[in-house]
Amino acid sequence: MEPPENYVLEGSFESAEKIILRWDSTASEEAREKMIFEGDRCEVDRYLQAVDEIQRSISSTSISGDGQSKVNSAIQIAMARLEDEFRNILLAHIHAFDVDSLATDPSSSSCSRTESGGDHFDDDDEDRQQLGQEQEKDHLDSTTSSTTYDVLKHSESNTSVSSSYRSTSCIREIELIPEETIEDLKNIAQRMIAAGYLRECTQVYGSVRKSAIDSSFKRLGVEKLSIGDIQRLEWDALETKIRRWIRAAKVCVRILFASEKRLCEQIFDGIGTAIDDACFMETVKGPAIQLFNFAEAISISRRSPEKLFKILDLHDALVELMPDIEIVFDSKSSDSIRVQAAEILSRLAEAARGILSEFENAVLKEPSKVPVPGGTIHPLTRYVMNYISLISDYKQTLIELIMSKPSTGSRYSGDPSTPDMDFAELEGKTPLALHLIWVIVILQFNLDGKSKHYKDASLVHLFMMNNVHYIVQKVKSSPELREMIGDDYLRKMTGKFRQAATNYQRATWVKVLYCLRDEGLHISGGFSSGVSKSALRERFKSFNAMFEEVHRTQATWLIPDSQLREELRISISEKLIPAYRSFLGRFRSHIESGKHPENYIKYSVEDLETSVLDFFEGYPVSQHLRRRSQ
Amino acid sequence: MPATTDSSAAASFTNIGRSILSLRRDQVHSIEGMNMQHHDADTELESFQKRVTDRFLDLSSSSDELLTLSWVQKLLQSFLISQDEFRQILFRNKSQLHKPPMDRLIADYFERSVKALDVCNAIRDGIEQIRQWQKLIEIVLIALDNKKLIGEGHFRRAKKAMVDLAISMLDEKESGSALANRNRSFGRNNVRDNLHKSLGHFRSLSWSVSRSWSAARQLQAIGNNLNAPRSHEIMATNGLANLVFTMSFVLLFVMWALVAAIPCQDRGLQVHFSMSRQFSWAAPMLMLHERIMEESKKRDRRNASGLLREIYQIEKSTRLMNELLDSAQFPITEEKEGEVRQRVQELSMVFESIKGGLNPLEGQVREVFHKIVRSRTEGLDSLGKGNGPD
Repeated sequence: MEPPENYVLEGSFESAEKIILRWDSTASEEAREKMIFEGDRCEVDRYLQAVDEIQRSISSTSISGDGQSKVNSAIQIAMARLEDEFRNILLAHIHAFDVDSLATDPSSSSCSRTESGGDHFDDDDEDRQQLGQEQEKDHLDSTTSSTTYDVLKHSESNTSVSSSYRSTSCIREIELIPEETIEDLKNIAQRMIAAGYLRECTQVYGSVRKSAIDSSFKRLGVEKLSIGDIQRLEWDALETKIRRWIRAAKVCVRILFASEKRLCEQIFDGIGTAIDDACFMETVKGPAIQLFNFAEAISISRRSPEKLFKILDLHDALVELMPDIEIVFDSKSSDSIRVQAAEILSRLAEAARGILSEFENAVLKEPSKVPVPGGTIHPLTRYVMNYISLISDYKQTLIELIMSKPSTGSRYSGDPSTPDMDFAELEGKTPLALHLIWVIVILQFNLDGKSKHYKDASLVHLFMMNNVHYIVQKVKSSPELREMIGDDYLRKMTGKFRQAATNYQRATWVKVLYCLRDEGLHISGGFSSGVSKSALRERFKSFNAMFEEVHRTQATWLIPDSQLREELRISISEKLIPAYRSFLGRFRSHIESGKHPENYIKYSVEDLETSVLDFFEGYPVSQHLRRRSQ
Repeated sequence: MPATTDSSAAASFTNIGRSILSLRRDQVHSIEGMNMQHHDADTELESFQKRVTDRFLDLSSSSDELLTLSWVQKLLQSFLISQDEFRQILFRNKSQLHKPPMDRLIADYFERSVKALDVCNAIRDGIEQIRQWQKLIEIVLIALDNKKLIGEGHFRRAKKAMVDLAISMLDEKESGSALANRNRSFGRNNVRDNLHKSLGHFRSLSWSVSRSWSAARQLQAIGNNLNAPRSHEIMATNGLANLVFTMSFVLLFVMWALVAAIPCQDRGLQVHFSMSRQFSWAAPMLMLHERIMEESKKRDRRNASGLLREIYQIEKSTRLMNELLDSAQFPITEEKEGEVRQRVQELSMVFESIKGGLNPLEGQVREVFHKIVRSRTEGLDSLGKGNGPD
């Protein structure tokens, strides 16, 4: 008496229920041991159809209370089964992603092999430019590492970072799970969600995919370091980790996370509002936070000058990644990730500014009092000039980050511990350029203080000459630096070291040349208008003694720059030689006519000329003086 | 020590100070006050202490509220406000900061506060774990939705979620044996199944810190060498030493309470808390400490993953629910069904109490993180300007 449809329905339901019950893992050994989706495709189809049938029965009004209970039971069993199948399929595809090839040097050119289509190759020009930039950063004064200020020796080229540019310079989703499998996953997900089992589905999905990401993280070298761990690490070790992190972060954001997002979209597409997004966040939120925690820890670490360049690298990498972060984490639920990344970026910028400030402070207050032997280039000078050369390499980034002028003493502050600087005359310069000029100003200020520790006044000037000259040379050798410092200031400094050279000459040679003056030697009036032989002898003796002293001392002084050395020697010669020649010419006869002339005329002109060549070589000459050749 | 001569006057001052430490705070303070030159600084320090005291009195006022989500939020709020005030006072006394011993005291505080950052991150993980539980509870609520007829299928679904929840709430170390139990209860012996389950399901939350990180150790590090400032320090810093000490203790207590309440890795609560009672906030803080410690020692809370009241409610409701689900025979009696609906109602209330509170809490923890960082950065910067390079 039942209408035919119901009869048909009952039958369909029963056969469907049979299939469901057959695969109840709590009920049978066989059901436990085999997985439906690993077996016969027909069985898969049959099972899915059975699930659909049961689903239809739920909404069927013709089934009575008892029947409803059976239907619900069948649904639950089916869903539990589907959950297991879902998990099983996902687990089988955890390690499909070959991380290693993406993070290594492209010279092994293996990165294209893992993708299954849709390669986006980036602009080669961009890479060449990047590479060029890296190599520029390589250029360091080779003498730096031998000084105590060798903190810069690790700011060398980042060629290893550039190697990943080619493969990870833009978002590139790869296939984490093959298409056929995705079909299966979709089929399962659809049915679970239709039956109201969304949460179970996303739970399984999230936990398995999270462990997949976990293992990718391990292979990329993304570590679980606490802020305390990072604080305790030596900067050297941290630099390596930062480099590795930059490489890994690019892969994570552009490939790993982007691919997970695509996978969610593929599996949960069209099933419900924002389900794919919820799944994606379930999977990726934890790992993303873990990833960014490292950069965050770096951004809050204590500031010291040697950290600047790696922090800038990190900053730049994050700037580069931000657009991709915003694309991958574009939903409301991923706000916190975007926000964290933006916060880290701004902290890194702050850190860079703070470090620059620290650096300026350190240069101003650098307290070492031990004078550099020979008046040569002070390690501080080398360090500072190398540092700001590197800064000029990072000009692009820093120009945007440094926004305020340096805080300097005002022209009339009268504070003796800080130099004055009036920036009015430096109109039109970027704040970065002003900072660099300021650094040079304080460097000179500090050097000036250090120079006062030399006992010999001549050395004070020589030291300043050497160091200011070095500064000028370094500025000239870097086009970016030169452009920022400006030729005006360069001219000022040139004038300064030339003045120091002049001061040196006055300090040393005035008194020496004083011995060769005319006045006081002639006796006027009376019967003999002639030369006082005793005075003359004194003069020669003084000259010899002074010159010997100066020669002995200043041979050990050093002017590292050969051209400057030459120039100064020539300048000395130009004053000394003609004066001596003329003195000798006029007065030698008087000495030679007396006793022991060799005690008084110790040098020939050639002797002097040769001796001048010993000056500023940086090592002592033998005390055996050349005798008169005649 | 007889206080007869002038030279020992200072010593006796100190002695007097120490001996009336148990008496009124204002007496002690007036002795210090005599040596303070800046009366303004005096008042602002005093009012800071008072406000901290008031906040802790408020936190300890209602015993019902203790360790609830909203209480934790209140705790964090009072930290944020105290930290702000602390920062302002430091700013107003900038010139004092790099004179010894203040420079060292401040640097110490910043070191402690950095250690607190890791606690904040661990708490963030813990909140995430509670969210996972919330999701499992949601499954149970959907399965046993009061509107529908409850069938065996619904029961099984709820049961499955309950078991997952129970395992997830156990200490990590114990989850191994629980795993076996779980599988037994479903009659599964498949080895591969076990492995997959343990891989995929039960480690669904991995802490974002390494296995060796310990909340207990971190707390100990924060509280390390935290001693009340001696009177010569107080005098040399114009009382600012007390400010730093107070804030340090607030920091320590807040972090300790967070670890007590929220699940995190290696949650040990044995931290040395000896506060000298010369500070007015010491009494309410100590009382809170005692009560929380009491709570942790109760029999049914000893192995809790966190002392949060809502976690306790989850534990209770789920235990009752489990018993019910275990004992149910189908078809269930009307009486049994009524019980089920009751448990569902309770569970639903717990769910509601968590649902709205977790996100704001996470936001607050993040804010604490940021405030600490900002304060430290500013402080270190201004210290740096006074000193030479390290």
